[in-house]
Amino acid sequence: MKVKIRKELPYIGFILPAFIAYTVLTVIPLVQTLGLAFTNWDGYSLKDLDFVGLSNFKLVFSDRTMRSALFNTIEYSIIFPVLTTVFAIPLSLALNSRMKTRNLQRAVFFFPSVPSAIILGYLWAYILAPTSNGLLNKFLGLFGMKPILWLAIPGWAKFSVMMVNLWSQVGWHACIYLAQLQSIPVDYYEAATIDGATPWQKFRYITFPLLASAMTTSVMLLMLNSMKLYDLPFALTSGGPGTSTTMVSHNIIKSAFVEKQYGKATAMSAIFFVFIAAISVVQLKVMRKREVE
Amino acid sequence: MVESKRTWKSYAGEVVMLLLCAVFFIPFYYMLVNTFKPAKDATASPLSLPIKTFTLDLYKEALNTINFWSSLKNSLIITVVSVIIIVVIGSMAAYAIERRKNRLTKFLAFYFLVGFMVPAQTTLIPLFNLMSSLKLQNSVLGMIVLYTSWCNFALFMYQGFIGNVPKDLEEAALIDGCGLWKMYWKIAFPLLKPVTTTIVIFDVMWIWNDFMMPYLFISSSENFTLIMEVYKGVGQFSNNWTVMLCTMVIVLIPIVIFYLIMQKHIIGGITAGAVKG
Repeated sequence: MKVKIRKELPYIGFILPAFIAYTVLTVIPLVQTLGLAFTNWDGYSLKDLDFVGLSNFKLVFSDRTMRSALFNTIEYSIIFPVLTTVFAIPLSLALNSRMKTRNLQRAVFFFPSVPSAIILGYLWAYILAPTSNGLLNKFLGLFGMKPILWLAIPGWAKFSVMMVNLWSQVGWHACIYLAQLQSIPVDYYEAATIDGATPWQKFRYITFPLLASAMTTSVMLLMLNSMKLYDLPFALTSGGPGTSTTMVSHNIIKSAFVEKQYGKATAMSAIFFVFIAAISVVQLKVMRKREVE
Repeated sequence: MVESKRTWKSYAGEVVMLLLCAVFFIPFYYMLVNTFKPAKDATASPLSLPIKTFTLDLYKEALNTINFWSSLKNSLIITVVSVIIIVVIGSMAAYAIERRKNRLTKFLAFYFLVGFMVPAQTTLIPLFNLMSSLKLQNSVLGMIVLYTSWCNFALFMYQGFIGNVPKDLEEAALIDGCGLWKMYWKIAFPLLKPVTTTIVIFDVMWIWNDFMMPYLFISSSENFTLIMEVYKGVGQFSNNWTVMLCTMVIVLIPIVIFYLIMQKHIIGGITAGAVKG
């Protein structure tokens, strides 16, 4: 027994640093947030806390900004993954061709995911501006169209956040599909050609089903990142106009660090965690099921 | 006949794709080209090339206003040190978990996996208190400490990889009396190079580009990262948008150089991660 423990000890030592970092910086703060959501914590002292039941959660749901942030986040995390997938799959097919300039093309489409979303947000705020440096409205003007207030009308602001993020993320997600495409044996297509399959049939019955596992990865990444979305709307619209592009993460940070309303902020964090955890559990289940199959 | 038709079609496809590439790149062209023109020209014709009016004055002004070198230094220290710590502690833990399969390590693997469900936003408030009580708030060291909590992503990636690495060599070394620590760094860790490359690339890009953590945890400008200079610039250059564009270009240069050097590995890394996922 003693020999065994002595043999295991160095391995425990290998795990310990990561265990401590992760426990202190992720697990304990998470447990604290979940616990504090049920108390009247003032943000400073952890003494004299009173249990206040669900009243913080009631505050969240009675607050119009919080409700609208929850709604925006859910809306965004459904529409954005679908939109990106619809564009990323055809893009990956195009990038998988035997064109001479395909490496250049890959590099260009991937490039918008390299800069920080903060930079992209501020850059696009200039491009979408209704003033004379606003490139897009200038371009529309060439066709005699009136300038659109891209960032000042709620519907257009939501649209703009999605479009800019699509532009920045579609190349990255096309690369996920590209890997899978490259692993499909050429024989499948040759056999289908001999059987007289049309290009659409080849896509529908060979390519698309075989992209399934890349799709799980890509869609789940898109959903989780959509739910956590923070930098881009921060820079592009600052959550406005009104609360039309305010996301949950934006709201948690604002109510905790600006408004110092810790009860609301911790309750919102707890709700947010439950959402993300639920989606992650579904993801793990789906992935396990696939592996079994 | 069929052959020539195919080449005609593929040329057409290539032209369409290159046009699309050009459209995709316009925002960056717009950002770059207007930094070499006087503001008046930039507003009048934002896409024209600055042939007659080429100037570097805007860059001089941007560099004089932002603390470029100090922020570059902070960004470099924070990114390099946290990525090294993440790789060291993440790979070691993954190695021990993968090579010692028992009830404890199985539990630990699950315990680390739970972290994927925790969005940073949910831990911010207690983290803020923790950092202020440790006097690590508003410091470069504090940022490094915060980023090491991302070690579970590295751990997960390493775990998937180590399972496929043969262990004969490691066992032989251990039987010959080599200590675990020495054996790990001499024999096992070098074999993990492909996945280490992927992790380093992702973590460098995430940490370098991260805005939320420095925005919340750094308050004085001597500790700013480069991304914070962009944020600060919005207020400073609100009447001077082309100088703001210069600031963005300057801040972009290091990560673009990194991208150009690592490009092949980046796209390869995503594909490797995806197939595994």
